[in-house]
Amino acid sequence: MVVDLTVCSRCYACVAACRVEHFLPMGMSWPKLVALETNDDHPIVSTYSVRCNQCQDAPCVEVCPTGATRQRPDGIIVIDQDKCVGCRYCVVACPYQNRTFLSKDKDRGFFPGKIHTDFEKAGKELYPHQVGTTEKCNFCAERIDAGLAKGLKPGIDREATPACVNTCPARALTFGDLDDPDSEVSRLIRERKGFQLHPEYGTDPSIYFIDGKIGCSDKPADDIKAEKAGVAGK
Amino acid sequence: MPEQKIVKTTCKGCHGGCGVLVTVVDGTITHIEGNPDTPTKGTMCSKGLSSIQHINHPDRLKYPLKRTGKRGEGKWQRISWDEALDTIAARMKESQEKYGKSSVAVSQGTGRGYNEYTHRFARSIGTANIITPGYVCHSPRLGLYGLVTGYGRLYCDYHGWGGEFPKTQISWAKQLEISSADSEMAVWFLNSLRHVKNLIVIDPRETTLSSRATLWLQIRPGTDAALALAMINVIINEGLWDRDFVANWTYGFDRLKERVQEYTPERAAEITWLKAEDIIKAARLFAIDTPGCIQFGSSLERQANCGQTLRAVICLLGVTGNIERPGSMMSWIPPASGLREEFFTEIPITDEMRKGIVGSETYRMGAARTAHSDTVIKQLLEGNSVVKVWFSVGGQQIIHLANTKEVMRALMNLESLFHVDQFMGPMAEHADIVLPAAHFLEIDDIYDMHPRFMVEAINKVVDPPGEAWPDNKIFNELGKRLVPQYWFDNVEIMLDYQLKKSGLTWKEFSAKGVLARMGKEQTYYKYKTDYWRKGGGFPTPTGKFEFFSTVLENLGYDALPYFQEPGESPVSTPELAKEYPLVLSTGYRQPFYFLSQYRNIPWLRSFQKDPVVQIHPETGKKYGIEDGDWAWIETPRGRIKQKTRLFPGIHPGVVMATANCFYPEEPGPLHGMLKSNPNVLTSNDHCDPMYGSPDLTALLCKVYKAEDGK
Repeated sequence: MVVDLTVCSRCYACVAACRVEHFLPMGMSWPKLVALETNDDHPIVSTYSVRCNQCQDAPCVEVCPTGATRQRPDGIIVIDQDKCVGCRYCVVACPYQNRTFLSKDKDRGFFPGKIHTDFEKAGKELYPHQVGTTEKCNFCAERIDAGLAKGLKPGIDREATPACVNTCPARALTFGDLDDPDSEVSRLIRERKGFQLHPEYGTDPSIYFIDGKIGCSDKPADDIKAEKAGVAGK
Repeated sequence: MPEQKIVKTTCKGCHGGCGVLVTVVDGTITHIEGNPDTPTKGTMCSKGLSSIQHINHPDRLKYPLKRTGKRGEGKWQRISWDEALDTIAARMKESQEKYGKSSVAVSQGTGRGYNEYTHRFARSIGTANIITPGYVCHSPRLGLYGLVTGYGRLYCDYHGWGGEFPKTQISWAKQLEISSADSEMAVWFLNSLRHVKNLIVIDPRETTLSSRATLWLQIRPGTDAALALAMINVIINEGLWDRDFVANWTYGFDRLKERVQEYTPERAAEITWLKAEDIIKAARLFAIDTPGCIQFGSSLERQANCGQTLRAVICLLGVTGNIERPGSMMSWIPPASGLREEFFTEIPITDEMRKGIVGSETYRMGAARTAHSDTVIKQLLEGNSVVKVWFSVGGQQIIHLANTKEVMRALMNLESLFHVDQFMGPMAEHADIVLPAAHFLEIDDIYDMHPRFMVEAINKVVDPPGEAWPDNKIFNELGKRLVPQYWFDNVEIMLDYQLKKSGLTWKEFSAKGVLARMGKEQTYYKYKTDYWRKGGGFPTPTGKFEFFSTVLENLGYDALPYFQEPGESPVSTPELAKEYPLVLSTGYRQPFYFLSQYRNIPWLRSFQKDPVVQIHPETGKKYGIEDGDWAWIETPRGRIKQKTRLFPGIHPGVVMATANCFYPEEPGPLHGMLKSNPNVLTSNDHCDPMYGSPDLTALLCKVYKAEDGK
């Protein structure tokens, strides 16, 4: 996945789409938005839409004592909720803090004290969550698998692409195969100098960020005026 | 096997109108996402997605309620729809017989597909006292664009249908990237930005885009007209104007040239707190790197100089020829169905109705077909109110009008107040009868987006809770009781009627989903065709794009744009500024709330629990306020508390407070409305001469730490 910092505007659509897609309990959030706001010599307002980095050298896989956390052949890290014993070693091991333990207080319903809504009831059937286990983003692995089974291509076809990527009004998120040099994600990383967050952790994240200016004009005002001769009287 | 279906509909969570796919299993909504086969390309924001929680909310109003105690006392009794509508109809009739037709007012919130009904209903019963937020949101630009393009719509061409995208994009008091609400869609804008050469952001606050733009102009709130006029000054004095367009298609250029001479970049720099060199650079970029367009936001319409500010911006478009050219500002041709405005404009405003419009003598542009809200409030306070009965739908004037405390007192003086809503909020709490409204996932209706090149079907997905009704049904049933000749046997027949031009029935349109005129079906350079005028030209009295507006001249306004200080500012009221030294804007909005809506939706509330005020770190230090502190914000009208965000991207002299907030979870009748709503601070005493828009984005305030915390 590639996240474009030039346009991510902190709208939270990705977070909401994830909650819908996975019937997340009220206190749970798989993606998170991290704000950077400075205005010193170089003013910057940025929003880092972060989620499990699906690291290729993932410490969470290494520390999991039960094998609940594992890496699939396509690189996605998944948690088997039935094998997770809630030891939270992985929560500590993840240097990006992208794992959340689902405690009882995070699962009090949309409207605590009131009966569950129809959507919540449906979720308990369609996408059950288990209090006492650890959760995180799985790149919508179910969507990807269902899409692949229909012959669709992740990152190209919506039905095989994560919900957050589909919904983003800024089109700040791009999904695809990092191993395919011709994929859009590979092209963006190559051409726009994609970078991983905290590469010093040595976990090789599968999420890259790109940044830059908008537009291509960086001429001083006097040069712009000098250009006008040919333009006036257009 | 469970029964599963996917319903195509249109989101009405804001003004936008994004195409939506909703999955329903055995009558329960299990999924919602954007529809990729619509012009919004499958994108959807947090508000629309959270409809899931909205429709199932336990606090939804389910039955008509009648007040049994004093107004605002919170004592209610369930009644039938028949009793409710019969009572409302009888009170309206009595009032109109006793005081005249205009004594009944109809109010609405943001126009999200039901404004056709509010306007038709009002006109059908003979009143044009329609109270809308339009005068601080979108109406001024429509009216003033209308002075050059007739119908009054100009939108940024983000679509490339004419083969070009904007080369220079100005984003003026607007963050379209997070708010598609009042004209265009974020997904179109951000796509267009991929083609842009220069991006100029005019905003008192730094944003994601401004920090990556070609130029960011951190302007003093309320001084936008001075900037626009200085840019025109540079463009004219440096000979950068569009010679062909100005010579052949415009009127009053010499007089505009003369007018802008006083607005030198140096003088404008002093007024606006900008650097003269940046103003010059912005002007040159916009004039030379054409085509270009200006996306402006309604903050420009929340100033007491709103009319002339917009006129200045429109003249800036004119001198650069950025009208009707591919990649510039476009007046789109409507779809085959025509526009839904015809549903109410077919009932004309009579002279009697016009005479009865509150504020029409003073605000001759704004109060021509709707009432001036602040004058309605003042009249109610002074005991000489034209309006006696108020029927309110979809919006809470008690929250969004300026000077909340006055508005509260004024509402108590109404003979009758009826309110339609989905939840019991501060406005409903002050009503005599409250009617329960359906959510957009629970109704059949037609929706036209602002760019006006398409209409969309809102298709019912699930049943509303209890006895909640769609707005269109409420108006139809109430209308039938008063003036049956204007109303319909049922909603489906009413929808068929609205679609008659398209040749489609509601059922056919509903299946189709979208009726749009896009791509090659649009015509650029309409002024060079017979579209507006035989032989070419603009639909104005002179047939030209009027820099000098003959219409405004006839109405007694200055026909050329000028700058005027806000009613309260360091310059206009220096004495007041000694006590209230900071410029206050109440324009802060979060992308997951829409005006006063959605603070009761748990997913959305989780993104930001408390209303936030942005203060520069230096300013915070000066006044002893730290990040996360509750701070008092005070003006001569009162004080409110918001939670401080020390934000280095705001000008140290400006304080930005979150707009339109209350606490739905707190007890009625006020639901914490006076605690943090910045309209407690705003003034309804100085209003724009044309539109009556009050200064909501440019006032004076002081800030200090709230020692007791919340």
